[in-house]
Amino acid sequence: MPASWLGWTSDLAALVRVPITPISHIGILFTSWVRPSLEPSDFPTDEKERNDLAIAERDRYRQLYHAQMLRATELADQLRELQALPESALRNPQPPLIIQVDVTGNRPSVPSGTIELKLIREATSRIRVGDIAIVGRDIVGRISSIGRTKIDMQPTTNKDMGLTRAAIVPAHPTGDRSPLLAEIILQSNGDVIMVAEVAATSGVRKGDLVQLDDPSWPQVGAGLTLGVVEDVVPLDEAPLRQKIIVVPRRLARDVSRVVVLGTGEEQSE
Amino acid sequence: MRAVVAILATILALAFDSSFGGVLTLRSVGSITPLAMPCLVVFIALFAPETIAILVTLLLGVLVDLSPGNGELAGSAHLIGPHALGFLVTTILVLKIRNIVFRRRVFTIAALAAVAVITTGATEALVMLIRGIMPWTPAVTSGGFGELIKLFGTAIYSGLLAVPLGWCLLATIGLWKFHSPTGRRATWR
Repeated sequence: MPASWLGWTSDLAALVRVPITPISHIGILFTSWVRPSLEPSDFPTDEKERNDLAIAERDRYRQLYHAQMLRATELADQLRELQALPESALRNPQPPLIIQVDVTGNRPSVPSGTIELKLIREATSRIRVGDIAIVGRDIVGRISSIGRTKIDMQPTTNKDMGLTRAAIVPAHPTGDRSPLLAEIILQSNGDVIMVAEVAATSGVRKGDLVQLDDPSWPQVGAGLTLGVVEDVVPLDEAPLRQKIIVVPRRLARDVSRVVVLGTGEEQSE
Repeated sequence: MRAVVAILATILALAFDSSFGGVLTLRSVGSITPLAMPCLVVFIALFAPETIAILVTLLLGVLVDLSPGNGELAGSAHLIGPHALGFLVTTILVLKIRNIVFRRRVFTIAALAAVAVITTGATEALVMLIRGIMPWTPAVTSGGFGELIKLFGTAIYSGLLAVPLGWCLLATIGLWKFHSPTGRRATWR
């Protein structure tokens, strides 16, 4: 049966999930508590509060710097052709609404499978399909559907995510390396990795950061991290190009809560 | 069979497979995660009357197909069939052999749970393969040797999990009120 005829199963699944979600939510919290994410927490601890705060601020300004750099590069490329571009198109009139949403269900054996999020009634109008979900400074997925009882999120490594435009920047900027190493088209293989190709002369190394630079994504996500370069493999069939393996730093399955950058408008009371 | 107990067990098994199971996930070896539902399916298939066993396990398969991360299509639609048919085949298999095994042994449940995972996986692969042949659906591109190894790993891990789960189910067998069609309980081994 074609998938377009099976839309009713979504509503049926929502009904089935009603008695399961509360227990599943507890399970996610328990799992997150027993096996926390491998990455350090984004929140400052009592012991190293000042250092962590400084690191958080550094990451924040680095992200802003990367976002602006990517924006400037893009504008420089378009300037000659788009002299008549309206001023409003270059601005982001509405900052994103930061909404914390609990994870209520996933399929642990499929790291790139769809994640189920708790439906927050008050925030439903603020979250739209396509909004970005982050953990810290890392993108973990996009909202794929908003149902009557749950919100579905596709991780960035989901095979249905399609092609994503991104940019590679050095993890630790130095004077001898270009601040923008390459622009790439990322594609997931359905597992926990993404692949792309770059020119062999780009100077991309293991550990470099992959930042979102895709106009089809919400603008607020520009400069956020999609992952790190895990490996750079020469291509025998194309000696002038290299294949890079990108691995997300944070996985949605390892956390109990994500932050959604909502682009919907706030409801007026 | 008492419906309330079956519903409670189903909710717990579904919740385990979609959340608690993450505690036991072997992240470094392909995210192999044990499953609780095959153990429940085997337990019901071992002790419930044939018709009831087939209907209940078919329903359990439908519920698994409707749970997150299973058979998801465009527009958050779910594909009902892979687990439903897989559990049905598993149940028929268990029904064929349940009179020649020691049903009230935890080891039996553990071994059959592992077999159930493999049977369900094979049926699921067959369903997806047949579906991929249809002109209106894209061809199946996933799978391969890696997935086969993962399936066997999941089967073994689920079998291990079925030891404590099976013990719990056997300990509560009185609550389930299983009755054979003839009203006899002498066939329990």
